Amino acid sequence: MIFEPSSDSINIPLVREDFPIFERKIQGRPIVYLDNASTSQRPKKMIDAMVHYYTHSNANVHRGVYQLSQEATDAYESVRGKVARFLSASGGTVSEQEIIFTSGTTGSVNLVCRSFGESFLKEGDVIAVTRMEHHSNFVPWQQLAKRKKARFEIIELTEDLKLDPKEVDRVLALKPKILAMTLMSNVTGVINPIASLASRFKLVGTTIVIDAAQGIAHLDLSIDRLGPIDFLAFSSHKMCGPTGVGVLWGKKNVLEKMPPDQMGGNMISHVGDLDSEWNELPHKFEAGTPNIASVIGLGAAVDYLETLGRRRIEHYEQKLTEYVLKKLEGLPGVRLLGPSSPHHRGAIFSVAIEGVHAHDLATFLDLRGISVRAGHHCAHPLMQKLGLPATCRASFSFYNTPDEADLWVEALRESQTFFARKKRL
Amino acid sequence: MSDTYREVFGEILADHHEAPRNWGKLEGANVVHEHGYNPLCGDKVDLYVSAESDGALKLQYQGEGCSICMASASIMSERVSQLSKEQALSWIEAFRAKMQGQEGASVRILPADESGDDLTALYGVKRFPVRIKCALLPWTTLKKALEGKAV
Repeated sequence: MIFEPSSDSINIPLVREDFPIFERKIQGRPIVYLDNASTSQRPKKMIDAMVHYYTHSNANVHRGVYQLSQEATDAYESVRGKVARFLSASGGTVSEQEIIFTSGTTGSVNLVCRSFGESFLKEGDVIAVTRMEHHSNFVPWQQLAKRKKARFEIIELTEDLKLDPKEVDRVLALKPKILAMTLMSNVTGVINPIASLASRFKLVGTTIVIDAAQGIAHLDLSIDRLGPIDFLAFSSHKMCGPTGVGVLWGKKNVLEKMPPDQMGGNMISHVGDLDSEWNELPHKFEAGTPNIASVIGLGAAVDYLETLGRRRIEHYEQKLTEYVLKKLEGLPGVRLLGPSSPHHRGAIFSVAIEGVHAHDLATFLDLRGISVRAGHHCAHPLMQKLGLPATCRASFSFYNTPDEADLWVEALRESQTFFARKKRL
Repeated sequence: MSDTYREVFGEILADHHEAPRNWGKLEGANVVHEHGYNPLCGDKVDLYVSAESDGALKLQYQGEGCSICMASASIMSERVSQLSKEQALSWIEAFRAKMQGQEGASVRILPADESGDDLTALYGVKRFPVRIKCALLPWTTLKKALEGKAV
């Protein structure tokens, strides 16, 4: 360890043993996994929970009167409580009825878009997003605006790629009906001041949708601390859980007035020949057999993160961020997108290196067993504005070490010499 | 350490990347220009192609992109310059098939794999499936140029 572990810190070598994948080698070297913004790795306890359901309690939920189905239902529904507590500050203010299981962040945002947006938005209304949104919190709103003939407004960024306060004022004055905003940028790691922004937009009657896909596993957050927001969307697979499942949290009174998004089994209370009535929350929004095993896996992931301690995770990653930023400072020719100060940013570092193409760099790193993402990071609106087709992104999690950061930074340095060239004949 | 990349992609690709052949614009009334672009990674190639009086193609290019795309453009420019339009089109098809792991008659048009050969070096990119499109861009751009207009 290069920075001093405090008594309150995580024992990283022990934590890494919880993740079976780290026993593997790539190119004969240990895995240096720096693509956590894409998806996290999974602890054995989470994998075991899914296997246990399939091998011990496999049956459908909410249906059978027999023991297996009851066990499956209990296991599935208990995760709702876990997630509600996970999102509550101590005391527990989030209700289980406000937790809807979806297919992921994208599924959650699309649900709000189709159900809330289609029902309550009118021609000429304003929908606002920010320049730093992932496609999943940009395209659904852009297309909704087109369908509804609504105005689509983008809050632009400052030089260091934070929200521009002047732009926030401009859009606030338009009194948007919806503000869809990310908690943490998946390109720059910038963390937006959700609570203060939500308070201001609430005063003009805006419904606030927060994409927490990036923040959820890394910040010690709760709904209360995010201010008067209406919706929060996140994915299980970025927080040590399985793929294919995510969560939409919505304020109960808002969810209640929204129509169901998908029709089918489980979401009804009564079906007549000509009309039907809807089940209560949250089942109104969960049509069909859900992704039972993955929800159970998500529950185990929540348990895992809480055992490690979310404050400890945030604290450790903050230290790691400071460490990486200091390392990058001494690296000429490497352009870091976004703020170089460690405040209000997570451990996501997108770099562009003069003379080295992002894909060459990613392959160069891969040959050293270092997994990073190269490309546009599903953020075309930001990348186009920056005039960059692709960057190379390293994103860290609590199981990454300063040594891994060193390997990455050293490889960046060597790539510059390696790709230096070029004599045209 | 940094030789790993060179070991995998070989001296030939590195050489074409560092010292590209047939670089530059072609001028003239019978020159066809075609622009190839991959919006996902920003690779760009501008091809300039014309037919000589004996029917053999003359090809120059400029571009900007990753080392694989640029090396592929350079190798293609040398290889295709000796071919007729029809031969070039069947080479392009064979190269695409070969890079996408297909076998069969169309692929056999190409010279047999031989170590130390520039095309064989390009086939090494198949080891990185996501990079195959980088190698293919110059070839698909040439196909557009040859099919689209009177070369």
